[in-house]
Amino acid sequence: MRLKIVENSQIAKDTYVLKVENPALYGILPGQFFMIKVNDFNYPLLRRPLSVAGFSNTVDFIFRVVGEGTRILSLKKEGEFIDILGPSGNGFIINSSKKLILVGGGIGVAPILYLKYTIENRYRLKCESYFGFNTKDEVFVNTGNIATMDGSLGFKGTTVDMVQDDLDKDSLIYACGPLPMLKKLALLCFEYGCEMQVSLEARMACGIGVCLGCVVPTVSGDFKRVCVEGPVFDYEEIQWQEM
Amino acid sequence: MAGNVNLAVKLGNLIFKNPVLTASGTFGYGIEFSKYIDLNRLGGFIVKGLSLYEKKGNKPPRIVETPCGMLNAIGLQNVGVERFIEEKLPKLQGLNTHIIANIYGTEVEEFVRLAEILDKEPLISALEVNVSCPNVSAGGALFGKDPDMVYVLTVSIKKVTKKPVIVKLTPNVEDIAFVAQAAQSAGAEAVSLINTIAGMVIDVKSRKPFLANKTGGLSGPAIYPVGVRMVYEVYEKVKMPIIGVGGIYNANVALQYIMAGASLIEIGTANFVDPTISIQIIKGIEEFLNEEGVNSISELVGTAHG
Repeated sequence: MRLKIVENSQIAKDTYVLKVENPALYGILPGQFFMIKVNDFNYPLLRRPLSVAGFSNTVDFIFRVVGEGTRILSLKKEGEFIDILGPSGNGFIINSSKKLILVGGGIGVAPILYLKYTIENRYRLKCESYFGFNTKDEVFVNTGNIATMDGSLGFKGTTVDMVQDDLDKDSLIYACGPLPMLKKLALLCFEYGCEMQVSLEARMACGIGVCLGCVVPTVSGDFKRVCVEGPVFDYEEIQWQEM
Repeated sequence: MAGNVNLAVKLGNLIFKNPVLTASGTFGYGIEFSKYIDLNRLGGFIVKGLSLYEKKGNKPPRIVETPCGMLNAIGLQNVGVERFIEEKLPKLQGLNTHIIANIYGTEVEEFVRLAEILDKEPLISALEVNVSCPNVSAGGALFGKDPDMVYVLTVSIKKVTKKPVIVKLTPNVEDIAFVAQAAQSAGAEAVSLINTIAGMVIDVKSRKPFLANKTGGLSGPAIYPVGVRMVYEVYEKVKMPIIGVGGIYNANVALQYIMAGASLIEIGTANFVDPTISIQIIKGIEEFLNEEGVNSISELVGTAHG
């Protein structure tokens, strides 16, 4: 689909919000993502997977400039068109009988924001959220509990340090962020006996289940595709020590 | 304009409605693409490489993007031939296109067994023999680099199947035409070339190869001139049909392969970028024929020679 860009603006250091016209096709589950072609050329060749950070009259993405592809994307202007494919992947499953805890780290906060919106506004449930960044410059949310590594805003330390006192066996964590954060959360979940759904990031070529490039190791010994069986997994399904 | 040019191509006893196929490993089991395109419009499609038993594939990271291309080391992850026949093939019933099975083994006996099993499947039109995968430790490109092995393997497979046999060649050899000749002498109906080019990307932060498998196969637009050159070389040395593959991302590159000597072409990595690309390329070829006043695609095969 070629969709019109409604907004593309910087919201924090190296971080942009990209809003495109809603093609009015369907609902999008929190956790799902789109494959975005940043230009019409062969360089960069592959689409970039971006998870949905918001969905209303527009489909919203939040991305960080990490390489050539995202740099090109950051230069797109309102009114230009962009080629997007999706939505892909499963999505978070919302369980109303649990104490819902949302944890996002860095750009991994993006899909958690849409999840938070869905839980609070569509399901009318309560949840507690924890968002972690390196420094104040990178913070792009003004909701939830904020942690920064250097203490320049909110709690000083990681989201994991901040969230652990709130966990008990009735907790259900929804998490997306850097791998070390997810690994620590997995250990905490094991310790406290709580549940966790994690959204994983992986390099992918196609995003439609055929290249088999984005697989992660699971406890069954099989590899599973982040783009089709994920990106959201039950943490107990993942073979963390091999990640 | 559509329909007044002849795109049909003959290979062995098969007629393909057009020369556009999709390459193994980039098209799943076909089913995955039915939500994006009408599979019936393709000349045919080649399913993910099948081994006798399920293969879990290599550890991640398995892919990395490169300028105008990508490097992959998937390691032939597949469900195995039995599960393919039980679970995937029934979903492909009733299609009006050719389904080609790509087979892979570590020993001649495994290839032969696979060919025997698939020979009994009426939905499979032909077999593409993978002697060129760079990402598995045994078999794979080890066969494809040795013309004698290619000969022995092809003869052995031909004995157990009546279906056309296509040998898929590796570009990672000194003289690809020599290997193609071996396949021809052994009775193969066609050769397809090229598979991916062996490559490596190093992560400078960790100072180690990026892919878990260390090396991978380079594909995408970056490699097409290599493929076109090799098809050109093979065309001079063999009489059987050639299937051109490697970096095709539009009708122009597809036509280059055809003019170099390919009767059919396969689209690979481009399927990842745009799942509808195969149909666009068919249209583009048709338009070219119309514009140039060429009645039949066969008139263009090998025109770059002489």
